[in-house]
This record gives sequence, structure tokens and C-alpha cells, in this order.
Amino acid sequence: MFNCKESIHSLLEYVEGELSESQALELQEHLQACPPCVDFMKTYRATPQLARRALVNEMPSELVSKLKAFLRTKIPPK
Amino acid sequence: MSDSRVPLTQPPAAGSLPGPSVSDAAAIEDRALLDRAQVGDVEAFESLVERHKDRLFGLALRMTRSEADAAEVVQDTFLAAYQNLKRFRGEAAFGSWVHRIAANNALMRLRHQRVVEAATEELLAPEFTERGSLAEVPEVDWSRRADEKVLDEELGRAIRQGTDALPEGYREVFLLKDVEGMSYEEIAEMMGISVPAVKSRLHRARLALREKIDAFYKEV
Repeated sequence: MFNCKESIHSLLEYVEGELSESQALELQEHLQACPPCVDFMKTYRATPQLARRALVNEMPSELVSKLKAFLRTKIPPK
Repeated sequence: MSDSRVPLTQPPAAGSLPGPSVSDAAAIEDRALLDRAQVGDVEAFESLVERHKDRLFGLALRMTRSEADAAEVVQDTFLAAYQNLKRFRGEAAFGSWVHRIAANNALMRLRHQRVVEAATEELLAPEFTERGSLAEVPEVDWSRRADEKVLDEELGRAIRQGTDALPEGYREVFLLKDVEGMSYEEIAEMMGISVPAVKSRLHRARLALREKIDAFYKEV
């Protein structure tokens, strides 16, 4: 059975279903016996989801104006 | 801590952490605008710019960590897209195409800067005891916050700061995979590293950002 370190080291491959059957079993056995690692895994999986939501940006209006002016100089209307 | 006695007999399905998806309707509208732009309709191209500028800017800003650089990346990207419109055969979505151009532009810019700016950031990671147990037990299970309708502004700021603090090479991998949804192979090719190296950096970046978010919840 994996310990916490081995389990956390294998989390990326685990959440993507890329661990071998025997390794996945060892990790699952550890998770069954280790509530902190279950919480760790849940928050590991939530991290990219939260990041996607937090990293939404709007281009500032003055930069949008500059972008449009730049493109107008490069792309003349036909 | 949450109830951890949930049976965990099956690993999650492959690709369980997908990037943002573009709705079918949006992709169809992009396609129609692209068709018009490819035969010289400048207004159609301007509409494509309008539809994609914010997401491109967001990617460029997080990669370069500079508004000025990000604005230039967006400009160069749309110009390159316009100049290559006729060669674009529409096998991928327009959005995916311009995002790849922007990512390449931002990476080139970073490579240039890296010559003069040595990376000084360190990667956070969980600590373990000599026996390999977690040294610090997570106090809060904040995973459900990912499903809440409104993201707490302070949390959002902490995540943006945490992302910006990821070292060069790790931040780009995290953004391209977990935010943009690119494949490991695409990222490896773009960055000139192996797929295992991409996975290793992604894992370490996720661990580091997870530590930042965890620290945020410990403070509130």
C-alpha cells in the first residue's frame, strides 16, 4: 500500500486514469485508510477548476482601443 | 475536514480536468465569420477579434505577467491570424487556432526575457514526515468552492497571485493545460520539452497552487 508521499506523487496520473491497475489499487487502499489524503486529492482536483474561474480577464478598454487602432493600420478596409 | 469515508474504488475518467469548452453555437458562429473573413470581409474579422480578445488577453497576461506585453501578444496574434486567414483550413476551431498562436507568441517573448531574468521563484509543495505521511493535515476541504456560482473576489486574487508566482516553465504548462485545455503533446512541442516533463511540471504547479489556495483558506 502507498504512503501519503507516494500517493500524492501519483495523483496526476491517478486523476487522469493513467496509473497501472496495481498502482491504482495501492493508491485506493491508501485513500481508504487516510482521510487527509482524500481531502488532499479533492482539493488537488479542484485547483485547476478554481484557477480557470479566477483567471478570466477582460482586456482593459484603453488596450482594446489600441488594438483596434493597430489593426486598422495593418488591415485597411476593402 | 469533510467526510472522507467515501468509497474510492474507481479512478476518475481520463481527461477529467478539461479546459474551457467552446459551445457548439459559438463555434458555428465563428465558422460563419471566418468564412466571410477569408473572402475579404474585414468586419467579419473584426467580429472575431471582438469575440476572442478577452480570452487571448487573459492567457497572454497570465503568461507574461505584464499588461503591456500581453497587449502586444494580442496585437501580434490577430495580425498573424489575419495574414494567414486564407491558409487556415478550419480543421480546428478558430478559437483554438488563435490561442495556439498567442501561446507561441507569449512563449517566444518569455524565452527572450529569460536570458536576462533568472527565475527566482520557488515551488511550494506539501511536506512529509520521514515515514512519508503528510506533515500537515488539510484543515479545510475547500474543493466544493469550485462549484459555487460566484467566485470570492479575495480567493480569485489569491489564485491570480499564486499563478503569477509559479516559476517560469511551470506557469506556462499550468496555463496551457489546465486553463487552455491543450494536450500534453501540443504543449511539449510548443515548449520543446518531453511529455513526461510537461506532466511533471503540471503536477508540481498544481501542488504549488493548491498550497496557495489552502493557505488562503487557513487565513480566513
